[in-house]
Amino acid sequence: MKKLIVLLLSISVAVGLFAAGQNETNATEPVKEVELNVMMSFPRYMDQWETYCNQFEAKMLKEENLKVKINLEMPSSDQYESVLQARLAGNDAPDLYTLHSNNIATYYKSGNLEDLTNQVLATKVYENIKNTVTIDGKMLAVPIESQAWAALYNKDIFEECGLNAPYTLSELKNVCSVLTAKGYTPFMLAFQEQWVPQLMTALLLGGKVTTEVPDWLSRMYDDKGSYAEMRDIFDIIDVIMQNGTSRAMEQGSESGAAEFAMGKSAMFVQGTWASGTIMTTNPDMNLGVFALPVNENPDCAKVNISTSTTLAVHPASSSKDVALKFANYVLNDNDSSALFESCGFNPLATCHEYEVSSWVNDASEYVAQGKAYQDLVLPSSVTNEQGKLLQEYYVKAVTVDQIIERLDKTFQEANKLNK
Amino acid sequence: MNSKAKQNRSLLVFTLPAILVYMIFKLVPALFGIFYSVTDWNGLNKNFNIIGLDNFKEILSDVYFWNSIIFTLKYVVVMVLVANVLALLLANLIESLSKAKGFFRTIFFMPNMISMIIGGYMWMFIFTKVLYYFADNYGMSFLDHSWIGNPKWSFVAIVIVSSWAMVGYLMIIYIAALQGVPSQIKESAYLDGAGKWTCFFKIILPMIRHALTICIFWTLNAGFQVFDVIYSLTGGGPGRATQSVSLNIYEEAFQNNIRFGYASAKSTILFLIVLVVTLVQLKFMKKRELEL
Repeated sequence: MKKLIVLLLSISVAVGLFAAGQNETNATEPVKEVELNVMMSFPRYMDQWETYCNQFEAKMLKEENLKVKINLEMPSSDQYESVLQARLAGNDAPDLYTLHSNNIATYYKSGNLEDLTNQVLATKVYENIKNTVTIDGKMLAVPIESQAWAALYNKDIFEECGLNAPYTLSELKNVCSVLTAKGYTPFMLAFQEQWVPQLMTALLLGGKVTTEVPDWLSRMYDDKGSYAEMRDIFDIIDVIMQNGTSRAMEQGSESGAAEFAMGKSAMFVQGTWASGTIMTTNPDMNLGVFALPVNENPDCAKVNISTSTTLAVHPASSSKDVALKFANYVLNDNDSSALFESCGFNPLATCHEYEVSSWVNDASEYVAQGKAYQDLVLPSSVTNEQGKLLQEYYVKAVTVDQIIERLDKTFQEANKLNK
Repeated sequence: MNSKAKQNRSLLVFTLPAILVYMIFKLVPALFGIFYSVTDWNGLNKNFNIIGLDNFKEILSDVYFWNSIIFTLKYVVVMVLVANVLALLLANLIESLSKAKGFFRTIFFMPNMISMIIGGYMWMFIFTKVLYYFADNYGMSFLDHSWIGNPKWSFVAIVIVSSWAMVGYLMIIYIAALQGVPSQIKESAYLDGAGKWTCFFKIILPMIRHALTICIFWTLNAGFQVFDVIYSLTGGGPGRATQSVSLNIYEEAFQNNIRFGYASAKSTILFLIVLVVTLVQLKFMKKRELEL
């Protein structure tokens, strides 16, 4: 008897809940509702994108009588890829998601990117930037963060010491000794996170390879090259490490940027994406960008042009038309400029008309003089290994010879696996 | 139908929700994981090949993996000792208090309520900023170590943070066990002239062996799977000097060449190691438990 009562009670509760749920949907019948899941990898721009999503929701409601609800998720950038992969593998793909332009080929092959070539946005993106997101003549993602970047320096300190941006190894050594003599620490070292030391190899390899050994990367992909050809970049790395702040392994990227902003060092090998932290810490900072010297050849000192973050639409999206509308809205003629400017992104489409910051201008000058290169695409295992090895090099656990050997091995393994 | 079968059936019905949750969220993914360990799936593609035991053969010569196993073993040994001794000590101290037991119990249990990844970042701030502040401004030079950069000291840092997180939980189990020791036995031992230490080692410790079994089992298990503390504190660095097995698996599955199948094979090996170690431990310790 008791059992029966419990059963009846639970059935009535379940029915009640179901009925309540039904009522709710009936109440908002007149407007069509669409839910859009958007996943992005830069939590530091959460506010800006939330505002933009709200604008999109309002626009859709007004223009198309469509009630769009955007669920914006921003996992932290170092966990982003694993979260995204888990969701793609579990058939729970977000309607729109950001990805690094280096991964476009892989995601395209596995059928996770919608072709955007025929969308309005494709006509707006600058040609040289469109190339970085195009494969087989198909534009596969909306470029979001495209930048020219190189090392950062404190212009006020340089001016006070009567210094100019260095172009060669010996000029860099000179800059370091002058700075040290005046009581400044030349470089901020923030090696706690492995991607930060890795920026040194990114800049140095890019400058050297594109100037002196243009076929190096393609030979590396054919197992016919070696990091031994790149040995001289370690002279610069030595100079940076010997003239840097202490406790580098205990310094994270954000706190490093903050301390650099407070004048703790004169230079910081860190991209322009750190400008947000730097300028909020010290709004009066006179921030500049200089191309990191590679060796005694001044032509090797170049800035890196790359598209990092892009936004893609998933082909299996249940509300693809709205997702595509959102993708187009990212490069909207009226609203896009304000978004890109507030995030500090660089202009990359005809709809972007705004004043850029001084450090963006610095980098653009290098680009105008032809002192720039397209980012080298290395296998991600090699990029990660570089970060790890530079940490180990800093704590003197490996020698340059061992680094060369291990990087060659990692590159060959990646080649074998990606065949 | 006899009553025994009936009893079993009602037992099954009552535990069914728990069993279902366990099967769907633990057992099935685990079995899938074992299946993926014989594939070359990259976690992204829609199709993959079954490659037999190739993954396991490759693991045999994977130096980074075996180094991470050695590091993890070292960590497990130290943690089993440090965490259990500390927890027993705290449990005894708190039990011997006449007032404010609840207060101290809550305080020491508190770290369990915070996610370890957050706890890890909090401690990172302490190790990389606060300690140096004391070292630089108050001359406490014994704090001035490379807490993240020197593998020796970062091991100490990791053990400190892990103990901070683990001890509260173990302490609660030990307190419960200590309360279960009948006071008349202790009293008669005192009357027979046993000192505090003798009483602890000869009476109390044998009486709480069952708690020891559980706590050591739990620390072994948690130790082998350590991830979040190391991830938030050192990220396994410098290089791979403080990389635990879980971090090595994570790196293989999500960071480098995204080899999901190979990473699953590593997980399977870790599972076997944990299984063997804990089985041996349980068998060994169960035998020595006392029943009143």
